[in-house]
Amino acid sequence: MTAEEAAKIIFNGLKAAGINLIVTLPDINLSQLLREVEEDQDVIHVPLCREEEGIGISAGAYLVGKKCAAIMQNGGFFNSHNAIVTTLLQCEIPLLLLIYYAGDIGDRTFSTSGGLTEPLLRALGIRYWVMRDPGDAPEVIKRAQILAQDSRRPVALLLTKEGLGLRMPIKSL
Amino acid sequence: MKRFDCLKIIAAEASDALVVTSAGAMTLEWQVLRPSDANLRVRTLGLCSSIALGMALGLPHRKVIALDGDGSLLMNLCSLPTIARMQPKNLLHVVFDNEVYEASGNKKTATAAGTDLVAIARASGIKEARWANSVDAFAQAVTAALSSDGLSFIGAKVTTERTEVPPYPIDEVENKYRFIRHVEKTEKIEIITTSLPASYN
Repeated sequence: MTAEEAAKIIFNGLKAAGINLIVTLPDINLSQLLREVEEDQDVIHVPLCREEEGIGISAGAYLVGKKCAAIMQNGGFFNSHNAIVTTLLQCEIPLLLLIYYAGDIGDRTFSTSGGLTEPLLRALGIRYWVMRDPGDAPEVIKRAQILAQDSRRPVALLLTKEGLGLRMPIKSL
Repeated sequence: MKRFDCLKIIAAEASDALVVTSAGAMTLEWQVLRPSDANLRVRTLGLCSSIALGMALGLPHRKVIALDGDGSLLMNLCSLPTIARMQPKNLLHVVFDNEVYEASGNKKTATAAGTDLVAIARASGIKEARWANSVDAFAQAVTAALSSDGLSFIGAKVTTERTEVPPYPIDEVENKYRFIRHVEKTEKIEIITTSLPASYN
């Protein structure tokens, strides 16, 4: 599957799950997915300067009836921790987090971030799943959104290179 | 200027606007002047403007007012270019600049050394950004902003004087539910629906 096809499947999954406002900050590996967000006419797209503000924007939009997702790199997830703790967790506000897993196995440059991503999600009590097959994305997103809304907490999906159609999948991973 | 006097002016004109208040004593003063479930108190220093932006984008026909502080906005300056980029026509962003972190022991903020938040707002792309240097000028600016169909930013230099008001006895989760139920009722929409199925599914 190509990155273009994977991006369409993931984005259509978000729309099918009812997501209608998306905040984003680019990572090169998210380019195709962000193009889908930019080109869509129905979803409100808010490009961010820093990911933490996106947590606030999503929270505000949720309080008036929007269903929100945030797309960012794991570095942006790290940037957002105070907002996640004192706005989302403390006020019990759901948010679907789609986090590019920089420093995943075989991914260069950010191995330190990769090593700390899952421990930090666990420390924050955020339930998460690693996405390695774009074909599964619509169902995973649908279920994650149900969990986020029902638990009134953020739920994270970690987007890997193979999950984004950017490299060969390995069956045992 | 005294913040309380400025808040009185906003309260007189706010009508059914959704109002987001930053951390600190301002929230308590505002709640006394306009007691309403349309008020949301922010818990994360800095996020006032961003939460208000999210509301403004989500309900574009409803006025949204952010009552921010200098310490809060300085922590989230990047909200200004994002607000400018999105240009929500229904957002009024007010910053009460008392040049200190009032809720954190009155240490000076960068505005005490000359940082100009209105200039930053304007340079970020918010054209209707101005200082109001008197209570009368503030009243005029608020009236103009709330009657206009466009994004506005008002800065007001205020003293650190607090007004004695009673405590605000609801926690953040109750605040959230009351706010959401208020929006549901006034907008005739459903936001939180609890599904209690006959059996688990």
